[in-house]
Amino acid sequence: MRKVGNTAIATVTGVALCSGVWLLSGGPGTGSPPQPSAAEALTGQAGEAPAAPALPPSPPDRIRIPAIGVNAPLTGLGLTRTGSLDVPPAEEKNLAGWYEAGTTPGETGTAIVAGHVDNTAGPAVFYRLGALKKGGTIEVDRRDGGVAVFTVDAVEVYAAKDFPDEKVYGAAARPELRVITCGGGYSRGTGYQGNVVVFAHLTGSR
Amino acid sequence: MRRTACLLTGTALVGAAASLVAAAPAHGADGASAAGGLRVYPSSVVPGEIASVNTAACGEDTATGDASAVGAGQFVLAPSTHEGEAIGQFTVPPSAQPGTYEMVVTCAESGRRITGDLIVTLTHARGQVHPRGSVKTGVGGALGSDPVQTAAGVAALAVAAAGGTWLLHRRARGDGI
Repeated sequence: MRKVGNTAIATVTGVALCSGVWLLSGGPGTGSPPQPSAAEALTGQAGEAPAAPALPPSPPDRIRIPAIGVNAPLTGLGLTRTGSLDVPPAEEKNLAGWYEAGTTPGETGTAIVAGHVDNTAGPAVFYRLGALKKGGTIEVDRRDGGVAVFTVDAVEVYAAKDFPDEKVYGAAARPELRVITCGGGYSRGTGYQGNVVVFAHLTGSR
Repeated sequence: MRRTACLLTGTALVGAAASLVAAAPAHGADGASAAGGLRVYPSSVVPGEIASVNTAACGEDTATGDASAVGAGQFVLAPSTHEGEAIGQFTVPPSAQPGTYEMVVTCAESGRRITGDLIVTLTHARGQVHPRGSVKTGVGGALGSDPVQTAAGVAALAVAAAGGTWLLHRRARGDGI
């Protein structure tokens, strides 16, 4: 009887020790967000899926990226005083935003969507954006009832101090989409060092 | 009589305030859903291209738009997929001159009239301001462990310590493990 008690206590002690160490060393769902590999870099338009005809302008309502489990509402974004893109409220972890003064997703030009990789509570809407691959699908629900379907051309990571504005935000002759979140390494003092940027173009609609 | 005059003035003031609110352009993060205004996408339109007009002023109601100031005539606004909002689209005539034009939208049932500005520019580049630089979309919260998890980890280690101490104590007493 005593032997059984000892075994039980030893087991509980062992399990508690292991789970305690595991929880304190990171535990479930935490760690660095995934970053794109060099294979996902921009290579030009050769070999890409054919572009679909542009849609009339309509504000978007929702973004879906099935490959990384994203399904989030979109809010309108403006610019900050320094001219950088503003961000959605950080406390709402499943909310992304779109640049309202720019191109609407599906019309000709470069539409811009941004969302948080994490907030103080943990991973947020675009935590896994860096794991997206070329050829992946991004769907944007529009308020005119249509759905704009984009195909991923590249997933890049850019340092904040050397950000390629023209490449990311510049005008385009066909309907394109950028999806942006934080990435590129993290330092306790200065936060994330840059952005993960997904480049995509319109390949269909319904 | 004086009392009536006061009341009338008051009513007029309230009316004026209400129309001011209705006429104020919608701003802010979710401006399109702010009651009262017209929202135009893109923010400036090139002649020959399509403009999208959105309003939350008519609720679930349909509405008629009038863009004859720019030469585009009338258009219909139907309920959009966004709750409580109507959307309509029309083509800006290729002959339209750059400038700001007034549009009028009338809700079908309530008859409420809402006005808004359409900005026509000759080129896309002139009308659009692109953002600059990187975007602050993370604080590192996914990297550190969250407080609940840390507390759970500490509690588990405390249980392990208690169990270990008890076992060592029994072993020292020669109880045999």
